[in-house]
Amino acid sequence: MKEGIAYAIMGLGYGGFYALMAIGIVIAYKGSGVINFAHGAIAMYVAFQFSYLRSEGTFRFPWLDPIPTSFLNLPVTLSLSNGEPINFWIAVLLSLFTALILGAAIHYLVFKPLRNAAPLGKVIGAIGVMTYLLGVGSKHFGSNQPQPDGVLFPDKLLKNFLGLGLGVSAEALALAGVSIIAGAVVWFIYKYSRIGLATRAAAGNEKGAVLLGYSPDRLALFNWLLAAFLAGLVGILTGTVTGALGTGKFTGLIVPALGGALIGSMSSIPLAVLGGLLIGSLQTFVGTYVSGLSWFPAWLYSGARDSIPLVVIVALLFLRGKSLPIRGNIEEKRLPLAPYPKRIGKYVAIFVPLGFLLSAGFPGDFLFAGLNGRWGMALTTSLIAGMFGLSFVLLSGYVGQISLVQISLAGIAAFLTARLMSHYGPSDSNPFAVGGLHLPWPVAMVAGVAVATVVGLILAVPALRIRGVQLTVVTIAASISLYSFYFDNPKLTSLQGGSSYIIQPPTFFGIKFGSTGSQGLTDNPKFALFCLIVLAGLSVILANLRRGSSGRRFLAVRANERAAASAGVNVAKTKFLAFGIASAMAGVAGVAGAFQAGSTSAPMWDYGVGLSALAFCYLGGITSINGAILGGMIAGGGMVATFGNFHSPGLYSYIPIFGGMGMILTAIIHPAGQASIFQPLMRHFGSWLLTARGKEWGVVLRRLAPYLIGGGIWGAIGINPWRTDTYNRTWMIILGILIVLFVRNIVVQVKAAKAANALPDTNSLQEVTA
Amino acid sequence: MSESLLKITNLNAGYGGIAVVRDLSIHVNPGEVVALLGPNGAGKTTTLLTISGLLKPIAGDIQLLGSSTTGDRPEKISRRGLAHVAEDRSLFFDLTVQENLRLGLTGNRETRSKSQENALDMFPALRPLLSRRAGLLSGGEQQMLAMARGLASEPKMLLVDEMSLGLAPIIVERMLPIVRRIADDTGAGVLMVEQHVGLALAVADRGYVLAHGELTMEGSAQQLRDNQSLLEASYLGGEAH
Repeated sequence: MKEGIAYAIMGLGYGGFYALMAIGIVIAYKGSGVINFAHGAIAMYVAFQFSYLRSEGTFRFPWLDPIPTSFLNLPVTLSLSNGEPINFWIAVLLSLFTALILGAAIHYLVFKPLRNAAPLGKVIGAIGVMTYLLGVGSKHFGSNQPQPDGVLFPDKLLKNFLGLGLGVSAEALALAGVSIIAGAVVWFIYKYSRIGLATRAAAGNEKGAVLLGYSPDRLALFNWLLAAFLAGLVGILTGTVTGALGTGKFTGLIVPALGGALIGSMSSIPLAVLGGLLIGSLQTFVGTYVSGLSWFPAWLYSGARDSIPLVVIVALLFLRGKSLPIRGNIEEKRLPLAPYPKRIGKYVAIFVPLGFLLSAGFPGDFLFAGLNGRWGMALTTSLIAGMFGLSFVLLSGYVGQISLVQISLAGIAAFLTARLMSHYGPSDSNPFAVGGLHLPWPVAMVAGVAVATVVGLILAVPALRIRGVQLTVVTIAASISLYSFYFDNPKLTSLQGGSSYIIQPPTFFGIKFGSTGSQGLTDNPKFALFCLIVLAGLSVILANLRRGSSGRRFLAVRANERAAASAGVNVAKTKFLAFGIASAMAGVAGVAGAFQAGSTSAPMWDYGVGLSALAFCYLGGITSINGAILGGMIAGGGMVATFGNFHSPGLYSYIPIFGGMGMILTAIIHPAGQASIFQPLMRHFGSWLLTARGKEWGVVLRRLAPYLIGGGIWGAIGINPWRTDTYNRTWMIILGILIVLFVRNIVVQVKAAKAANALPDTNSLQEVTA
Repeated sequence: MSESLLKITNLNAGYGGIAVVRDLSIHVNPGEVVALLGPNGAGKTTTLLTISGLLKPIAGDIQLLGSSTTGDRPEKISRRGLAHVAEDRSLFFDLTVQENLRLGLTGNRETRSKSQENALDMFPALRPLLSRRAGLLSGGEQQMLAMARGLASEPKMLLVDEMSLGLAPIIVERMLPIVRRIADDTGAGVLMVEQHVGLALAVADRGYVLAHGELTMEGSAQQLRDNQSLLEASYLGGEAH
């Protein structure tokens, strides 16, 4: 036991790290009601900045040069000392300065415009910032994983600490000490300073604060600067405590920190510090000491450490049953309306054959020649992402439950299906193969999806009592612990050394319709047809749900749970229904994804993948079926990304950056997503193909002709000098037309929004008329 | 000091571009208590929200202390010397009474403690409650705190919205005279929205009656009291027929 206590004390290093982050998270929540998922990413950026300043004296601005030209370049990297390490204190100052810039930018560019947005919009804003910083971080600092030097008492080991027999590093204790001091200072600010008091006041009743002459924007700015400063402090002080720096790893440390902040109910600084220290200490105690005891089950070993925050968070939120302090905002926008789906049959009748035609391709034709190759793969990727998006539409768009665990449910279904379908165990040709029951794919798929549904329903239990952003926190924690508990746990999956399950191509009455491999980036049109049919089926189910009485119950629960309950809606049943169906949809998407890849392994189901899927679905439009499908089209590896990649091969690494900026912009300008921009187009497109009349085409063409011609000309001559790729100039004409039409569309939307600006909820009103 | 503290001319105000209040012109002089009366939905609260900047006026002009407030943010208008005791009281429930008051104070250390004393002198019942959280106060105590907090900023112009909402008549009878005292002692102008017409006219100097967003009557408190039947008509809509 003495050893155990020593390990618990060692864990205080991590604990101090979590506690410092938790303080920053609480501050951001007080200041602007945002659960700042990007807090870890800010710390990450500053940690790298500091490390690079100390190793090679370069300062990197948190942005990129977005225009790939040889002129008009933004400065990105400043070399301050010709590759020599820079003075320690100057490095500290510059790093903290970076943090402050980030804080101010986040306030002015993201959360000030989102101040009155619906909670989902703020969550997306925070995820957008995180995605952006992750993208910029990996672009700037690459895959380098430097090991930073200790800052506080480096290399000092307190041998046989307190007579417990083990050495504890002074750095860990110092970090814990710093977190306590920082907590005390921040607590003092909130308790006694006027600006601190005003922050607490505005968090409780913004109107009251405004009427007394306090500017909520200025208060929010102060708090963002304070929060970013603390994140910067974390980045500088982390030293050797968290090991080598990694962009993704550092960002993921937000979850235990959120646990600490939640222990403090997002409002108490001392409790948040205590919570952070406790979680860090418990993690090391359980992960290093308890899991080494003889009675500890081996299958638990892998996930024990990462599950601690989840257990603490769920226990706390669920048992205490007290909600987080809700901000008393002057006005809060609601989620955009979920449009009533119409003419579903027609959609299916048109788009399924159309998709199949596209994927089958026209032989030899120059336009579609590529479709059997990478375009086929892109199409199926988009379709699968669309299926996955539908689960978000149901859960977040219709019922208002922001769940980030869907990716794990997809993974569970895929893993089980793969396991049930597989036949032979390890052999000479594949020593890592895992044997199974060799069931036919439909049976295996149904079983896999059923288990995913059950897991989804179990995870829905907390949702009965936990709402809004808290549910987001719980589900992200669940997703992370499921990853290390199941997907990355060889004891449960029998996958040795990060290998993957191999999936035999599924057949239908002897016809193999499996995807034809991801390596050559080709895809089987039959598999595209399978995906089209499944996506259409799921869309029809979702549309019918929305149109029926369940749909009305969903929307009632989304609008106001209490009011729904008082109108006779069984809220618990409705939520369970939504979680169950959404889990099944995620499961189906997971299985389809595994079919496409021909194999499945843990990294496919990482929480980051789920975050970007949610983000793209939101970009597409989270409250409509079209939105999910459009989201699939713009998802990573989907049609739009492949189109872009086709034209500029380096574009791939920019996707997170533009994705993040896109999310933020969508949340601010157009919460209904891109789908509502394309809604009129989509709505008429189907009918036109059936009943196209020359006259109607004529009218549209006449209206758009100037843009088509202008865009084409600009594309032919205007884009060229800006390009760095080597693709055919003919494509530039199409690109020019598309860009011009896109800009025109946005201008039209903004004008319409301005005309309706006086009305309180312009976006939903447009939705009605669209 | 013949200049009006607050002068509203031809104000149109409302929500989403749709005017609830139309063509309203009122003014308040220093040291004067003015009652804004009218039935539910007449636009009284809308008028006050527009004066303090929480709503943007659709048309017309609002002059506070001789200069226009058009386009100013509410916090800036407030710092110019306007205090608004809102209908929902807008208290900070998680903060103590003392902290609530402190947030209202302005100026340097000396003037701050003086104005807190003055505010507490008006509402001595708050003194024993200073360290209690505002959320734990009774309705009457909350209203006193809201008034005291408004006073603590030493406003030149005070807006009071339905002080009597949800309070026992006996408390209202005690609170309304305090409004009178504020105007007399500090020389501030008071514009108050009130449903207790009789009580309001007993302390007010003048009154305006709104119905369906339009000014239907105005005059001294005495005149309005004497015209009881007309007043009733504008409440019940009898005049419209």
